[in-house]
Amino acid sequence: MKRYQIVIAAAVVVVLALLPIVVTDQYLLNNAILVVMFIGLTVAWNIAAFGGALSLGHAAFFGLGSYTSALLLLRFDINPWIGMIGGVFVAGLGGLLLCIPLLRLRGPFFTLASLAFVEVLRLLSIYARGLTGGSEGLTVPSRPGWLWMSFLGREPYYYIVLVMSVVTVAISAAIYYSWIGYQLRASGSDDEAVNALGVRSSRLKVFSLVVSAAMTGAFGAFAAQYYFIIDPDTNFSYVLYALQPALNGIVGGMGTVLGPIIGAVLMTPLGEYLRDAFTAEQGLSYIIYGVVLIVVVMVMPGGLMSAIRTGTDRLGRGGRRRAAAAVSKELEPTREEVKP
Amino acid sequence: MATRYHPTTAGRGRRFVRFGALTASLALIVASAACGGAGPNGAVSGGEKPIRIGALYPTTGSLALLGEESWRGTAIAVKLRNAAGGINGRKIEVVRANVPDVNAAVAEARRLTSKEGLDFAIGTYSSSLALAASEVFARGGGTYVELGAISAEFNNRGYKSVWRTNPTATSFAEQEVSFISKYVAGALGKDVSKLKVVVVHEDSAYGSSVARSVQEKAAAAGITNVSYAPYSATSTDLSSVVLGLRSSKPDVVIAVSYASDAILLARQMKENGVVVPAFIGTGGGHTLAGFGEALGADANYVFDVDFTQYAVNKTATPGLDEFVAAYKKEYGGSPLSGHSLANFMGAQTVFDILEKTGGDTSAKAFGAAAASFKVKEGTTPTGWGVNFDKTGQNTAASAYVMQWRDGVLETVWPESVATMKPVLAK
Amino acid sequence: MQIFIQTLMAGVLLGGVYALVSVGLNLIFGVVRIINFAHGELVMVAMYMTFWMWQLWGFDPYVSFFIVAPVMFLVGLALQRFIIQPIQGSSSAMKIFVTIGVSIVLQNLALYLWGGQYRSVTTSYTTSVLTVGGVNISVPRLIAFAGGLLLVGLLFFFMQRTLTGKVLRSIAEDRDTARLLGIPVSRFYMFATGLSAVLAGVAGVLLTPFSSAFPLYGAQITLIAFIVVVIGGMGNMVGALVGGILLGAIQTLTGTYIAPGLQQVVLFALFIVVVLVRPQGLFGAGVGTEEVGLK
Repeated sequence: MKRYQIVIAAAVVVVLALLPIVVTDQYLLNNAILVVMFIGLTVAWNIAAFGGALSLGHAAFFGLGSYTSALLLLRFDINPWIGMIGGVFVAGLGGLLLCIPLLRLRGPFFTLASLAFVEVLRLLSIYARGLTGGSEGLTVPSRPGWLWMSFLGREPYYYIVLVMSVVTVAISAAIYYSWIGYQLRASGSDDEAVNALGVRSSRLKVFSLVVSAAMTGAFGAFAAQYYFIIDPDTNFSYVLYALQPALNGIVGGMGTVLGPIIGAVLMTPLGEYLRDAFTAEQGLSYIIYGVVLIVVVMVMPGGLMSAIRTGTDRLGRGGRRRAAAAVSKELEPTREEVKP
Repeated sequence: MATRYHPTTAGRGRRFVRFGALTASLALIVASAACGGAGPNGAVSGGEKPIRIGALYPTTGSLALLGEESWRGTAIAVKLRNAAGGINGRKIEVVRANVPDVNAAVAEARRLTSKEGLDFAIGTYSSSLALAASEVFARGGGTYVELGAISAEFNNRGYKSVWRTNPTATSFAEQEVSFISKYVAGALGKDVSKLKVVVVHEDSAYGSSVARSVQEKAAAAGITNVSYAPYSATSTDLSSVVLGLRSSKPDVVIAVSYASDAILLARQMKENGVVVPAFIGTGGGHTLAGFGEALGADANYVFDVDFTQYAVNKTATPGLDEFVAAYKKEYGGSPLSGHSLANFMGAQTVFDILEKTGGDTSAKAFGAAAASFKVKEGTTPTGWGVNFDKTGQNTAASAYVMQWRDGVLETVWPESVATMKPVLAK
Repeated sequence: MQIFIQTLMAGVLLGGVYALVSVGLNLIFGVVRIINFAHGELVMVAMYMTFWMWQLWGFDPYVSFFIVAPVMFLVGLALQRFIIQPIQGSSSAMKIFVTIGVSIVLQNLALYLWGGQYRSVTTSYTTSVLTVGGVNISVPRLIAFAGGLLLVGLLFFFMQRTLTGKVLRSIAEDRDTARLLGIPVSRFYMFATGLSAVLAGVAGVLLTPFSSAFPLYGAQITLIAFIVVVIGGMGNMVGALVGGILLGAIQTLTGTYIAPGLQQVVLFALFIVVVLVRPQGLFGAGVGTEEVGLK
């Protein structure tokens, strides 16, 4: 990463860290927490996408993180910080499990397998009432204090999730700009060539999926504390935690560092706004949401990042710029060739 | 020596754009925090300051059907009360929130408390949503009055400002067990301990909580032969459950189902020739008009324990007819279930209590007024009385036992509210 | 023994429902190479159409087929022409997301227009049963099953014997060569999607007599349809039929002998197992299996 990029990123983080000083309204802070959490979730999801794994089952890791943390607290009185580590670990294991289909199936079929994975976990958590409280779920008690990650105000939650998201983005950038990221992008274009060069692309893909799963689990553990009620339909929710990060990633532009961030920043408030604005008409808000999704995918299949890139290409003058852009494009994850 | 691998970023144009993108997204985060959420969507009238209360109901998603129906009861109560002059001359302004899932419930409750500055809210139809939303209000020192969710846990959390006007799952279970011991046992000529009961329930929070309550109450009443058959509400086929019933031949089935599984269960029971002398539904799908419509004559003799419905002894439920008329006028059709009626009565009760506090919605004032607010049974549109206990639960509200007879859900038990006598299925 | 046979019968009939819904999905995947997440919603739309025609004009559900089929064909055409075709060249991820968008729109459109109530059709034969050797067979479900068989048979015949079918198969095998030969591929894609929608429509019509229509019906059935298609072998019509029946039987047997609450878990678990052990499906080697590919 160039120096200037790190400086900008640091500046952004500082501004975000100062946000609660300016904004004291609890509802707005709630929104900010939601946006930041989804930035983290989307970036984490995207790490798996680096490796070509388009998962629609990340809610599985989210739920695993939530339940692990909550159960450790409720059964063994273990504080949520350690619970989060537990959640990360269990979610990572889940990711490892999903690597088996990952390595054997191509794109869309892996996606279906990931969907089945989250459904199985959701159904099992409904069935295993003794362990998970079944459909009624678990309630995390209110024990104010840093030890128990439970607060009356929203500010501490904001800082926690901000730190988590910054770490996630940092890890994503580290992977992207490292040789791992390079290999992953290369194998995205031509897997066989990369393997012929001696790179074990499968190990890298496993790595990115497991990291992605583990980080998602961390946010799940956070959510257990922040929302204090967890149940199968919410914490293993396909719509909320599997589809949404994927949508954000698509809209923003998969496979880059900035894309998921932009996607999350745009789509999260949009969803909240639509739901509030159209309370009276059943379903209207989601119709609009769906239309937005269709339009974005049709008009900008590479997401906003690619639209920005195309925009700068058009703005740029001279062959040197175009040449540089052409080289840059080659290193991007390319659109998958449609096989006959 | 490692070379750095990264896409070339030649050109100041590109650098500028990236900077721009970062700043823009930063600005967006701040801006989105500032404008996430629309303004209040209740009617604001001129004159005196209105009394603002929040109303949280799921009007989209899987709970949309009865969430919307529940909201309608509240809406009519607000309309009628405002038309009659409001509370102490002040209009009631309802700030609505759609809460399709638990996360939305928490988020919207937070919006209502901080952005809208409300300290009073009602809702919610679904137990998990009620738990979530009320936690936010209660932890923040506000008041939450539940008008329709039945999970027992709602009042057992130790909060002083959480109230509920409707009967609980425990009350449903009590009524069912009471009906079984006091009527069914006698009608079958069997001792209570010899009755075979199977609880067939869908496995979401609703079905599970009722099943749990039944377990407790049945044991206490001496009904010892009880077994449980949970199933998934989204099943396309319930033949495993039905075949289980066919082989075990129970005297009583207590069913807890949603809309489509209630119909499916009844149809597949008919297809397999399974007849249970006392099939007792527990609210949900067995109360819906759709159940009677879909099954026609096959719905006959199915019992149903639920909130007050519309074919009931009117002398015990004054105001019910007026409610139905107002509903028809507003929504162009008959009410879909008793949920709207329950919310109507609950909202009215809330307004009556606020009348006593002079429009003061603070937890202290409302708490004091509610604790001493007593209404006799048989004087409200649902027939329930009002008498809040120390946990905030209205102990004078109870479920009634209905029975489908010729396409109408008639009330058959207790006698004071019955329109007909109960009959066992043959 | 009686219970076993009855359970098995219920399972076979249920499997017929699954197979019925997945036939159209198989077609669109085999030819157009799209995982159509909105397929379940197409079934749901057809169910609503059937319901309203019964409610408003008293049409018997089976009769409404003659109106539902052409309407669904047009819907499929529009879907292909205006939504899928423009992004035919993008990655499959994009195509999946666009169909997810379509499914969200359709689900909520149904909610917005018709509310969340469960709409049931009740006819004289709704609870009719045939009793054969002590085993009860629900008539509407039997008709749906027979319909599914017929559909698979017709489709098979169509794909093997008619010219259009052969062209579709050739496009499925090698699109670029087909183009080179001058075949108007996009037109055939439109036809295939239209046909797939008709098949979804038929499924909806046949399901209505015994299932309730509601906005989220599609969401439930889509994933199961995918599982059937993958287990049976993508592109393999007969495989999907057999796979569907097998799944239905396993589901009901699990319900009776293990636990009703685990019925659906077992389906997904089976899916994962098949996908790991034999990704081309039980009856694999249908068109498109190289896409599934063992690596």
